[in-house]
Amino acid sequence: MIIRRYGVAILLTFMILFLLSAFVLLSFREGAFDAGTMLAGGLFAAYVLVQYNVLAAVFRHLDRYVLLITDFLMIISIIMLYRMDPETGQRQFIWILVGTLFMIAALAVIRKANDFGRWNLFFMLLAVGMLGVTLVLAQTTYGARNWLRIGPFAFQPSEFAKILFLIVTAYYLSTREHKRQLWPYFVFTILCVLLLVAARDLGAALLFAGTFLIVFYVGTGSLWITLGAIGAFAGGAVASYYIFGHVRIRVQVWRDPWATYNDNGYQIVQGLLAIASGGLLGSGLGNGMPQSIPVAESDYIFAAICEEFGIIVGVALIGFYLLFIVRGVLIAMDARTKFSKLLVFGATCLLALQSFIIIGGVIKLIPLTGITMPFVSYGGSSMLSSMMVLGIIEGVAVKNGEYDEAEITEMGGAVE
Amino acid sequence: MSKYGPNRYMKGMLAVFCALFVLLGSYLFYSTVTYGEEWFSSPYNPRISASRKVADAGSIYDRNGVPLAWSVGSVRHYAENPEVRRAVCHVVGDVYGKSMGAEAFYARYLYGYDQGLIDRFVTAFEGDQKGGDVYLTIDAELCTYIYERMDYNGAVVLMNYETGEVLASVSNPTFDPEAIPDAADETGSQYLNRVTQGRYPPGSTMKIVTTACAIENSVTDRVYNCPGQIIIAGQRITCPREGGHGEEDLTGAFEDSCNVYFAQLAVALGRDSMQRTADAFLFNHDWHFPDFAMLASSYTPGSNEGDLAWSGIGQYKDLITPMHDMLISAAVARQGVMMQPQTLLDVRYGGRSAYTYAPHTVAALTDSSVAATLGTLMRATVLEGTATSADIGAAAVSGKTGTAEYTDNGEIRNHSWFVGFSSDTEHPLAVAVILEGAGFGSRYATPLAAQALSRAIELGY
Repeated sequence: MIIRRYGVAILLTFMILFLLSAFVLLSFREGAFDAGTMLAGGLFAAYVLVQYNVLAAVFRHLDRYVLLITDFLMIISIIMLYRMDPETGQRQFIWILVGTLFMIAALAVIRKANDFGRWNLFFMLLAVGMLGVTLVLAQTTYGARNWLRIGPFAFQPSEFAKILFLIVTAYYLSTREHKRQLWPYFVFTILCVLLLVAARDLGAALLFAGTFLIVFYVGTGSLWITLGAIGAFAGGAVASYYIFGHVRIRVQVWRDPWATYNDNGYQIVQGLLAIASGGLLGSGLGNGMPQSIPVAESDYIFAAICEEFGIIVGVALIGFYLLFIVRGVLIAMDARTKFSKLLVFGATCLLALQSFIIIGGVIKLIPLTGITMPFVSYGGSSMLSSMMVLGIIEGVAVKNGEYDEAEITEMGGAVE
Repeated sequence: MSKYGPNRYMKGMLAVFCALFVLLGSYLFYSTVTYGEEWFSSPYNPRISASRKVADAGSIYDRNGVPLAWSVGSVRHYAENPEVRRAVCHVVGDVYGKSMGAEAFYARYLYGYDQGLIDRFVTAFEGDQKGGDVYLTIDAELCTYIYERMDYNGAVVLMNYETGEVLASVSNPTFDPEAIPDAADETGSQYLNRVTQGRYPPGSTMKIVTTACAIENSVTDRVYNCPGQIIIAGQRITCPREGGHGEEDLTGAFEDSCNVYFAQLAVALGRDSMQRTADAFLFNHDWHFPDFAMLASSYTPGSNEGDLAWSGIGQYKDLITPMHDMLISAAVARQGVMMQPQTLLDVRYGGRSAYTYAPHTVAALTDSSVAATLGTLMRATVLEGTATSADIGAAAVSGKTGTAEYTDNGEIRNHSWFVGFSSDTEHPLAVAVILEGAGFGSRYATPLAAQALSRAIELGY
């Protein structure tokens, strides 16, 4: 294969070097060289190379930057999880492999699909059904009832409802002429948010509500209704502050986590201590104590990364998410149909809010609500749904490229 | 549906996302630069205790240079005299993570984390010890004197109210830091520093706050008859004296500590005024002292007049730490301004001082005129009221006794309280004493406070 994009080749080389050198360090952690660890690192490097090259070859119009950023996020994830607990790292590797299949499937479907009009009602019922069943049967973890156990698998239905929510949102906002025709969609959204609040999954509720507001504004351009809806959600948030004790605790802990260090403030204080102990350049891989932070492998992985790699890498990660978002919005603006535009924009918006809410919560910019950091936190459901979001974005990117190509051919131009 | 296509709005939202993420990155950078040092050296940071090498640690001394903790090789030793060791154990702490004393709070000095580059370089040539020596404000001799006279569980704290230097802080029961690694039989309650972590009903010492509220709201002319008991909203409030105190005005009621009077006064003042004054006296306030952790005191006037009456005499849900109660009487002595209590006097690296003690004020609790009136009432209480046993002659002691009811396995018992101060400018001392379950404040806490003050004055404070 002839490398035509030197920029990409250089980026990819650095990413692989970063990954391999980190795993060399991890292999020597116990004193003697551990071949198993190095093998895991090598396998992941192989995965990244194969995944990127195969996808880029099969889908020529793929947005390479979005894929590279995702790969980098997953590299950081694998290094950090392997460093905290090799078994978790291995499981995450498997989820990434499965997630890649989900991503390709989503990409292929979106590339061919129109607007899922025939599926719309089914999707809505499925999403509400999943959230409803979760509420009834779910297992409580960290105060939220958002886990469902089927046989040996535990999964978070809200992660999959997110994808359905994106499609339904894009469908309604792109096919309805008048706003009054949107009422089933409003009912659907409010129902989803209420079910999530009832399950105490505040992070997901915030995510659904936020994505709805932004995509609604972009799709309809009606500032007043959007402001009204923001008002309604803000009113709901204030009401939930007074109704639910756990919401009040979240806010109190955010204002002063040190006052309740011994119980509710413990996690956020440990997160801040970890970030502060890492300083600008970090303690170095393996030299920190991220295990002192509760759920460091999932919601709190950002603090663990900051401790060992320094806030410089923390800021870089924030920058990578932003680049991802910029590319996502560009793809949305380039899309040919309103459905595609709103679907990609919604997907981008979801990732933007999700990464903002969790990073902002960990660094105490906003009150903490437990959600995962896309592509980085450990978790099967989260990884699969993030991968599907990526598949949606790449699917439309590929579609855009194919339209471009067709237009150029039509105009008699030669295709590169 | 819209005038423009979605692209126009997407651009706008993209700008919003950019702003949010720039904010995220800047805040991360800003907070780490601004608070990083403070967070890192926080006693809650497990990284410091995990990485600390006892051999590198500096020693801890009292204000007169009496050694309280030092390292020999990788073993930590504490004051040789077991009585001294126990008297100061909560302030000094331990290296085993059992208690929160100087060993935890000053780890950044003891292990040299705050040292500048040059200091680090110099101390590296001066032998094994890499950390700094910490000098505490407490006087070990005074602490031991007080500890040996505490016949009950409880706490005593004595402070210079002009500078905020804590001269003595004793919590009973104690533990022996020399015996911690194999002290399996000790239950854990002895590790609690009752001075800052014990929350007790303030009992009649709360009448200082209620009186302040009355003066602030000009409700000082009430006269109530005390027949020995009163029923307010179905709740019976009694005075311990047989037959009651008879006709009482504010001055008389304060000196006699008349519950019937203050219960009615609290109701007359009302819920809002009482809450306002209690909040101004820093009840329900989260303390942030750099030298130690202290629990918040709580006050709530309740929902009916009976609760309000009880809250005005330091019962109901009122809770206070001995340190806070001492700080209130210290503020009365100092024109209503509360000083920040401090226990760190000096830090020395290889003999060179790297820390300068500076007094700080916390807040003005009330006007100086209100403080002056409270001072007069507290002085009268010592001269002719319930606290006569606190009168040690020369130093002009003012104070307030307290007898706080609590139930222990269904049986009603009393904590014995005394808070007060010396208004002698040569000896600016404030004190709080609580003896758990001892009985009347005037009988148990007050004499001990008098002894502590006398001894402190003898020692030249």
